[in-house]
Amino acid sequence: MIDPNSKVLLEVRDLHATVDGTEILKGVDFTVKSGEIHAIMGLNGSGKSTFAKVLAGHPAYEMTQGTVRLDGQDLSSLAPEERARAGVFLAFQYPIEIPGVANDQFLRLAYNTVQAQHGKEELDPLEFDDFVREKMKQLEMKPDFLDRSVNEGFSGGEKKRNEILQMALLEPRLAILDETDSGLDIDALKIVANGVNRLANKDNAIVLVTHYQRLLDYIVPDYVHVMEAGRIIKTSGKELALALETHGYDWLHSEAGRALGTQL
Amino acid sequence: MSAALQHLVNQPYKHGFVTNIESDVAPKGLNEDVIRLISSKKNEPEWLLAFRLEAYQRWLDMTEPTWQNVKHPKIDFQAISYYSAPKPKKKLASMDEVDPELLRTFEKLGVPMHERAALAWVAVDVIFDSVSVATTYKEKLAEVGIIFCSISEAVQHHPELVKQYLGTVVPPGDNFYAALNSAVFTDGSFCYIPKGVKCPMDLSTYFRINTQESGQFERTLIIAEEGASVSYLEGCTAPQFDTNQLHAAVVELVALDNADIKYSTVQNWYAGDENGVGGIYNFVTKRGLAKGRNSRISWTQVETGSAITWKYPSCILRGENSVGEFYSVAVTNHHQQADTGTKMIHIGRNTRSTIVSKGISAGQSNSSYRGLVRIAPTATNARNYSQCDSMLIGSQCGAHTFPYIQVQNNSAQVEHEASTSKIGEDQLFYFAQRGIDAEEAVSMIINGFCKEVFQQLPLEFAVEATKLLSFKLEGSVG
Amino acid sequence: MSSVIKDDYLTQLIASWKAEAAASAMPAMSWLDQLRTSAAGRIEALRLPTTRDEEWRFTDITPLKSALFPRASVASSLTGSDIARYTLDDVPNRVVFVDGQFSAELSSIEHDSGVIAGNLSSLAREHTATVAHHLGRLADFQDDIFVALNTAFLHDGVGIIIPADVSAAAPIHVLFITSQPEQTTYPRCLVIAEPGARATLVEEYVALRDAAYLTNSVMEMHLARSAQVQHMRVQRESQQAFHIANNTTVIAPDACYRAVSLTLGAQISRYSQNIVLAGEHAECAIDGLTLIAGKQLADTHTFIDHAKPHGRSQQLHKCIADDSARGVFSGKIMVRPHAQLTDSRQMSRNLLLSDKARVDTKPQLEIFADDVKCAHGATIGQLDKEALFYLRSRGLSDAAARNLLTYAFGGEVINRIPVASLKQQLEKLVLVSTQVN
Repeated sequence: MIDPNSKVLLEVRDLHATVDGTEILKGVDFTVKSGEIHAIMGLNGSGKSTFAKVLAGHPAYEMTQGTVRLDGQDLSSLAPEERARAGVFLAFQYPIEIPGVANDQFLRLAYNTVQAQHGKEELDPLEFDDFVREKMKQLEMKPDFLDRSVNEGFSGGEKKRNEILQMALLEPRLAILDETDSGLDIDALKIVANGVNRLANKDNAIVLVTHYQRLLDYIVPDYVHVMEAGRIIKTSGKELALALETHGYDWLHSEAGRALGTQL
Repeated sequence: MSAALQHLVNQPYKHGFVTNIESDVAPKGLNEDVIRLISSKKNEPEWLLAFRLEAYQRWLDMTEPTWQNVKHPKIDFQAISYYSAPKPKKKLASMDEVDPELLRTFEKLGVPMHERAALAWVAVDVIFDSVSVATTYKEKLAEVGIIFCSISEAVQHHPELVKQYLGTVVPPGDNFYAALNSAVFTDGSFCYIPKGVKCPMDLSTYFRINTQESGQFERTLIIAEEGASVSYLEGCTAPQFDTNQLHAAVVELVALDNADIKYSTVQNWYAGDENGVGGIYNFVTKRGLAKGRNSRISWTQVETGSAITWKYPSCILRGENSVGEFYSVAVTNHHQQADTGTKMIHIGRNTRSTIVSKGISAGQSNSSYRGLVRIAPTATNARNYSQCDSMLIGSQCGAHTFPYIQVQNNSAQVEHEASTSKIGEDQLFYFAQRGIDAEEAVSMIINGFCKEVFQQLPLEFAVEATKLLSFKLEGSVG
Repeated sequence: MSSVIKDDYLTQLIASWKAEAAASAMPAMSWLDQLRTSAAGRIEALRLPTTRDEEWRFTDITPLKSALFPRASVASSLTGSDIARYTLDDVPNRVVFVDGQFSAELSSIEHDSGVIAGNLSSLAREHTATVAHHLGRLADFQDDIFVALNTAFLHDGVGIIIPADVSAAAPIHVLFITSQPEQTTYPRCLVIAEPGARATLVEEYVALRDAAYLTNSVMEMHLARSAQVQHMRVQRESQQAFHIANNTTVIAPDACYRAVSLTLGAQISRYSQNIVLAGEHAECAIDGLTLIAGKQLADTHTFIDHAKPHGRSQQLHKCIADDSARGVFSGKIMVRPHAQLTDSRQMSRNLLLSDKARVDTKPQLEIFADDVKCAHGATIGQLDKEALFYLRSRGLSDAAARNLLTYAFGGEVINRIPVASLKQQLEKLVLVSTQVN
């Protein structure tokens, strides 16, 4: 929800980043206020997933220029875990399988680490079990999921639900959902979207990185951005997503597109 | 196995004819006198004779390796003739002076010896028994400073280069057959690509064994200076005899900073008949030294011939960021035995290697992949990926995988995968149901199986290899 | 080798064998004497392996030769409290050997379980035909010097018979304790699962003090038709010990063998496991975890022999090596001619925690049948960077993420242990040895 009085949560200025010496992000400017939902769209290779990973501090990417601030705090020198504790959450496009680490063990460790950071009470295994099962119910997850290894042998839908479950546990300030809709059938998509909507409030913000407009039917953004060649080239309201769905991305470059764009 | 598949394999060897040409053959047996004879016939400098004699002394103290997964009767090294050359051997002023009988032989084999008749932009050095008989496009190559000639010629005209590099990658005492080769090698190809030169055409050597009782011991040396690159092709055939001939070659490659050597082999030596009588013993040592930073050595081999194959084209990755590659298809049928693979020795930092090996066994044959990946303590951030797949056709053959992985640096990432599959009746039925007969289906399945390797071959070679494979396996599935 | 150069080590052993042949606890039966004598004959014909032998290429046992420990003859008298930390709460059946001697006081077997378990010398008297049929017939001593030594010095051992269709609910714990330094023990174990029998076995080697000694152990196991055996093996000898062990298991049609082996102790250890799938539809799953540090060398050699059609085998071997430790794995899978429809998977995974640690791995396939599914793989490296990032992005510190992943790497094998108390014990042990700050 857009509230002119809410304060800036994330502020990205002229962000450049490289991977293996190749520049992928070439000056991203991006501002998110509390309570807002943003969608970043773009073709494959436009840099949108890189942007998500750079915000989370993936070690393979090097930030070469610009600033990234969360609640005014500079993130650029923070390790991934410090960003996580500061409230940045990335729901991965391809959550990695970690054989041997039981899900409940992992979830509790992550939860307690973040709780401790905020000076809040940590939960013992029994308390945590009650707590997490309640959250799982909302996402319609099977109880046996806790005993399995992290993401190992999970279907695409289960992996994505697990990501949203983690988001529910960690209660981030800024949640970045990277292609969370990919690989989901319509029922799973609704469950995941409901989960996300339930977590959205006036104090946090959500950034959806997505290819398709489909997800945006269920999680309605306040702003839609188009990314291309490592920059955000257009920002508009949610109608932009529909226009992209109908006309593709090319029209952004055509005369007609620009005209249409001005109307939006 | 269906009859159609059985039938598919058993086509006769089409390169099995003998050329009727007079040869200058040394008496059988090996001793210092024979080595001196070879050296004097070739008018060699003293240092090379010393090199040979030292190798011979080493060889006398060595025993034949027995660890490989092959069986053969003991080789009588005194029953082999170590020198055989087509007679008369005089200096040829041009290709037109080559014995017409020889020209016909190579035409029959599909090897273009007339530059004007060449179907592709390929320079060819032709080795007949022990001796190089012709090299094409020499002058063209010389214009950009490339030396491409027989190694005997190189010894005469570029002794400093030969002396500097010979035996530096495969030392004379490296192994039993390499020592033997170092003592008696008769000819082979030499190739030198100067600094910064990208060789404008593929270079190729065509090997032919013709004489029944001679061994073939050729020696190939390729040097790519800083920033140079070359693609080199090698093909082999031999006539059909009911005795075994020994082929013990040594190939050495040296790549300096930013140099790139790609070495492709299609080996189709006579494999013996369907009862395992006759055929070549192909005991070869091939090794490349990626000496310089960012250098690359890539081996691609399609091994279809020989009664026994024993070869492990290897890469020593010494230079930082150097790359080694090995792509191999080994096909065995009837009673053939192949024990082949590679060694990737990582010494420099950030060195990378890739191994893709495809073994296909049919009939009563046995095919083994044997490979070593060693990451030395100095090889920080080394990477290796190996994939070894086997396919068995019929229930009397064997497929074996023996990878050795030795890691002494914890920043290394080494991955090895291997699997075995077969051409299943259900697969053939699926093809049949779509109107594709068994022969076609087998050919498609096998070519699909080998695709990653064939993609590495230069185009004409890839076509040749594909044909050779279908031909080879004709009748094996049924 | 045509001529055998006898080393002093074996010469002295042969001399001591002759001196003490009469001292065996085993009953005086001619077949036993014959077995021991023919094994002794093989010692004379064989020699100690060196790194020139392909099967010992990565494992140099030279230090063993300079430490010729006499056979343990007198056992320390121990009480239940001395070994309390090694007993398992949920495992009432226990056969205990101290310094090579059977300890009746420390052992206990619930007789209503239907399982026949105890010391081999008693078993040989009471079930002579069964024991004579298998003992020394499964583990090959013709070509293996250490099996030959163990067989020649056969003094006593553990004998377990699970009669036909008996399903032993409680596991059986076989515990070999070394309490004295500079001695050699020759643990021997014979396990016979009759048709349809089911049992779970824990085989464990422990030391009461940190000393140098040699354990040379042999276990023979026979699974008759449709039998099911689960076999946990825990080697936690002292850090200075030598441990050389052989397990040979023969699996009849429709029988199923599952093993989890842990290698934690010893300065130099070698575990050779030979499994023969000798009947159609025989099945095995053998997993292993080696966790070593300091200057330990741990060598695991496995050989899975698919001799008959429709066999299934699965193997996951993992090694975590820290400091200057060296892990060796050689795993051969053989598919004999006509062993069609074999399904075999093998994976060797190795984690190097320090820049001095080293791993040599050699997975091998030898396949002589065409209608089979076989695959093997090997990986060597450090922790997965993407997994580390994933954990860190959820707030775990770098050290915590590394510890968790290292533990999990081993945990994957530990999780396959079906005995709860043992699993907990080992979880703690692995947790402690995989944590750094």
